[in-house]
Amino acid sequence: MIEQALHSISQFYPEIVIILTLCVIIVADLIIKSDKPVTGWIMLGGLVISGITILFQAGQNGSFFYNMVVVDPFAVFFKLLLVLAGIFVVLFSLQSKELDSYYTRKGEYYMLLSGMMLGMMLMVSSTNLLMIYIAFEVTSISSYVLVGFTKKETDSAEASTKYIIYGAVSSGIMLYGISILIGFTGATDLAAINDALQNRADIPMILNISILMILVGMGFKIAVVPFHFWAPDVYEGAPITITAILAVASKTAALGLLIRFFSVSFIDSNGLTATGIWQTIEGIHWTTLLGGMAALAMIVGNLTALRQDNIKRMLAYSSIAHAGYLLMGVVILAQEGLASIMLYLFIYLFMNLGAFYVAMLFSNSIQTESIEKYKGLGFRAPLESIAMTIFLVSLTGIPPTGGFVAKLYIFSAAISGGWIWLVTIAGITTVISLFYYIRVVKNMFFYKPESNEGIIQFDLPSKTILLILLVPILLFGIYFSPILEFAKNSVQIFGM
Amino acid sequence: MITNFGYVLLFIITGALFVGVALFVSKLIRPDRPNDTKLMTYECGEIPFGDARIQFNNRFYIIGLMFLIFEVEILLLFPWAVVFKEIGWFAFFVMFVFVFLIFIGFIYELGKGELKWDIPAPLIPRYEENVGVIEEEEKRETVPSAKKL
Repeated sequence: MIEQALHSISQFYPEIVIILTLCVIIVADLIIKSDKPVTGWIMLGGLVISGITILFQAGQNGSFFYNMVVVDPFAVFFKLLLVLAGIFVVLFSLQSKELDSYYTRKGEYYMLLSGMMLGMMLMVSSTNLLMIYIAFEVTSISSYVLVGFTKKETDSAEASTKYIIYGAVSSGIMLYGISILIGFTGATDLAAINDALQNRADIPMILNISILMILVGMGFKIAVVPFHFWAPDVYEGAPITITAILAVASKTAALGLLIRFFSVSFIDSNGLTATGIWQTIEGIHWTTLLGGMAALAMIVGNLTALRQDNIKRMLAYSSIAHAGYLLMGVVILAQEGLASIMLYLFIYLFMNLGAFYVAMLFSNSIQTESIEKYKGLGFRAPLESIAMTIFLVSLTGIPPTGGFVAKLYIFSAAISGGWIWLVTIAGITTVISLFYYIRVVKNMFFYKPESNEGIIQFDLPSKTILLILLVPILLFGIYFSPILEFAKNSVQIFGM
Repeated sequence: MITNFGYVLLFIITGALFVGVALFVSKLIRPDRPNDTKLMTYECGEIPFGDARIQFNNRFYIIGLMFLIFEVEILLLFPWAVVFKEIGWFAFFVMFVFVFLIFIGFIYELGKGELKWDIPAPLIPRYEENVGVIEEEEKRETVPSAKKL
């Protein structure tokens, strides 16, 4: 028993590092009375160390803590993505002016952020329904508080309340689904659930309903239609750094959980047909359902984004649309589909974080998030505006940026799976999305600034971070095979 | 076929029947002699006074929240204590980590001054502003209060 526990701990270093970071931040927040954001630097250090320990886990494969948590290439890939997103968000937070008026509670902010990181890392690596739910709640509760962190702003408080109400209901529904699933299969372990389902002659309808209920919880986190109603208000009201982590990391973690849950629990070893369409338990045609959700998300997200003026709200709708594109890969749960999702998530991380970062820099210097007020910014802040243009072009999916490669792979995976109607919708909505992304660029470059508005200076660190975000997008637009290989190797675990 | 959910349903039905039957039978056979003391609101043996709807310091809420954490901790310590002898030092280590994490939280509370009791001036409701309330207050005075019992 002790041996197994000690062995488990030796595979749990990334999470332990995060927990220790959390404790150190709490103590440091009490002891160090300094104006400098010490706790932020501590968290940055913790995340970097955690990332290094994850790198050491690459290639390993095993389950620990009595099959509660696994370390496999799939989990490692997602954990690396999450830590990367976490590092960037901490870097953003260190520069955000929005958070500065709450400097006395900075420790609390980073503490909750590390709690959220821990929850998300567990979400992608747990294989037991109980652990999945705990990880889900750790993430949710930290993010509820973080959304309302700038509590003197009415928007932020409102966003937090809305998020809690939606989140509590959807996670309650998910928990109910989990309880029914456990009741019918008598197991909490995902592999054991798969065994129980395969040995069952009849699959009752209630089991399908329980899986639908679990899908509600995960769909809420991914913000896919029809569980997306919270996203625009929460993204608009939350501090922009938290919006960034919600749009990138939270979505990534929930998608990792969704893929693991579906592919481990409900697909028997010969369930994948040659074209990559998966047969799950009978009753509901799951691929059509998920495909329909993806199509709805793309249509609703892209069409609603057309009329938004707030940049955060626009990016919120765009992230709903991107959830649709990502879900399109889940429909084709074969190796191609999964590898293309992972490639997409990797590039999505850089381009979306980049767009949020430039929006934050503009918000810091001209105190506005309105796209209309961006007029003339192309002449006042040329470097940042060009960077924003590249991020937005990449989000649209125009070559030679990374976004193009990501979309290309997802589309081609869908075509090879025979989902022509889905790809048609995705193609049309991509063209529609060009309009609202380019509107920002038009406002920045096609208007002369007022004569009293001078050039805005940005400091060196912000330019460096911008460059770090920019390089991968341009690089992976041309040379993306390493990431694709990494992703393909990471999905071998599911026997695909 | 009776599944495990069927047993749960049986439990619910049996529970409801048990309460219903017990209440009904006791209603049939018990003597019915109410008096003021018997009808008084039960507050753990204290004699109740005043209205139940009062304003109280919302600091109690935070204290209650903190108390809850430590109560749950004690709840988890009990099963641990039962098997402690069999598992030994490993159990001690596991519980140490758990208590340590909560302890850090407690230190944070103390450090942030959440347990400080600086009592704010009480907010005394001014009834003169609303005549209706005064009348109700007077009416309540004429009702034999608990203190007179």
